[in-house]
Amino acid sequence: MSAVLEARGLWVDRGRRTVLRGVDLSLGPGEGLALVGPNAAGKSTLVRTLAGLLRTGRGDVLLEGRPLAAWARPAIARRVALVAAEDAAPDRLAVEDRVALGRYPHRGPLAPFTDEDRAAVLRALRQTEIEHLARRPLGTLSAGERQLALLARGLAQDPAVLLLDEPATHLDVRHQLHLFRVLDDVRQHGVAVLAVIHDLQRAAVWAPRMALLDEGRIAASGSPVEVLESEAAGRAFGVGIRGLPVADGSERLWRFEVRG
Amino acid sequence: MSERDRRRLVFAAFAAVLPLALLVALSRGSVPLPMGGVLRSALGRVGVAWGSPLPGTGEVILWSVRLPRVLIAALVGGGLAVVGASLQALFRNPLADAGLLGVGPGAALGAVLAVDLGWAHERFLAMPLSACAGALLALLLIYAIAHAGGRPTLSGLLLTGLAVSALAAAGTSVLLVATEEFRVRTILFWLAGGLEGRGYEHLALVAAFVGPGALALLLLARPLDVLSLGEEEAASLSLPVHGVRILVFGLCALVAGPVTAVAGAVPFVGLIAPHALRALVGPPSRRLLPASFLAGAALVVIADVAARSLGQYVELPLGSVTAFVGAPYFLVALRGQEGRG
Repeated sequence: MSAVLEARGLWVDRGRRTVLRGVDLSLGPGEGLALVGPNAAGKSTLVRTLAGLLRTGRGDVLLEGRPLAAWARPAIARRVALVAAEDAAPDRLAVEDRVALGRYPHRGPLAPFTDEDRAAVLRALRQTEIEHLARRPLGTLSAGERQLALLARGLAQDPAVLLLDEPATHLDVRHQLHLFRVLDDVRQHGVAVLAVIHDLQRAAVWAPRMALLDEGRIAASGSPVEVLESEAAGRAFGVGIRGLPVADGSERLWRFEVRG
Repeated sequence: MSERDRRRLVFAAFAAVLPLALLVALSRGSVPLPMGGVLRSALGRVGVAWGSPLPGTGEVILWSVRLPRVLIAALVGGGLAVVGASLQALFRNPLADAGLLGVGPGAALGAVLAVDLGWAHERFLAMPLSACAGALLALLLIYAIAHAGGRPTLSGLLLTGLAVSALAAAGTSVLLVATEEFRVRTILFWLAGGLEGRGYEHLALVAAFVGPGALALLLLARPLDVLSLGEEEAASLSLPVHGVRILVFGLCALVAGPVTAVAGAVPFVGLIAPHALRALVGPPSRRLLPASFLAGAALVVIADVAARSLGQYVELPLGSVTAFVGAPYFLVALRGQEGRG
């Protein structure tokens, strides 16, 4: 399986601080990857760099095998969608208008929206199950619904890669489950999903694969069990991590203990 | 009634209010003209004879004095409203306005500089172009200062606008003191603002700038909407954020400069029209911008009628009339805005 998005020896500076120090990462079509790591490990920087929003130092981000620098901006945005933790859109904007702006990379400033665009918007609203909210202004939604509207904008872009930066942080458990179910559904359609997830328990339950970012490097990667039980994870978070097998033993309940 | 029907109704209402306001504005004044006569005269001009037109003097007043003035008022209002709506999307702030952001004082400084240096007497377009430059400078200054620490808060933006306004006004005062006496009159007459004595050459000037400028802003409706999602999301949707902002600033200055050069300061129009309409037609710029143009045009045409008819012997300054209405509106809107955080 060839990678749709790949980081090779990626170094990124923000201001005077070197945030990423040689990150290697690859995402195949339909793959789901949880990116975890302590605060200030560089997770948000990595996600933004993968979306082509930040200048890279050494190393490269390859989209479909070609460096991002060789792609036109709209072509990147037709393949890579970024969904942030918070929605900053105007409160009065209606959900469907918000989602429709995801079609901007496909149509640009002037070309009128086509049936294809309307179909993509409708599909995105259906996938996130917020079709009934289409006409509602964003300001009238709950935090969870608003996050789903933001995700729907990303889906309306019809991307090959979906990058999410802590998409579930402000959501209650029902909306969290809903969101991750939508992500699994999207992966069924061949979209690669990379999500920064703060809650390790949640990340372990959802993600088929996990990568641990610590001090700008990938310190461990593999299945959630492999990553969380690694030496590197304990070191990175500064806690003891233990997985207790539950139910049929395929899932684990994770315990975190302060080291001392 | 569905949302779409309601929006259509809003557009229809403004499309109807504007001609009505124009008709009233054409008939009112120091020499009142009967509305029927104005209509018949207008129909006569387009080749439809219908009843008796106005008496000779009425015809002259209507076509040489009142029509250019009323049309200038419409373009001034429409232009300022489109600029206000665009700046509100760009600064992601429903209370942004050319006047509050110091664009008017910036344009004034530019225009006064042109008079002071004598350019205005030598070259026809020197004053409006210089006003454009002043407006653009004010916008770029505000952008640079207010955006230095990320997205500016509402109070940060307004205070920056206040500072830039004060700076521009100070510059204007210094220039005024330094200007030769025979030019001071020109400047003072102009600074007072209003549309008294404005004729077809002013109309041509305003139309030449407001027309293309406002049209270009309408064409930027979708980029403005993308921009209103925030810098990062806009960039991730492949919008060239910086380029679009500079382009919008340039177009806003292109509209606001000559408008200020011809009509003086007409505050709050750019705030009221889009702010009030956002609740009716929603924030998408493809609807908000044209609706704002119509509403702003009607607003200033009516304000100009008030300026002409409220004072017994003198005309009130147009800017004072819009400020009397606009300032209380702004204060109420500000309270609502701060209440929401």
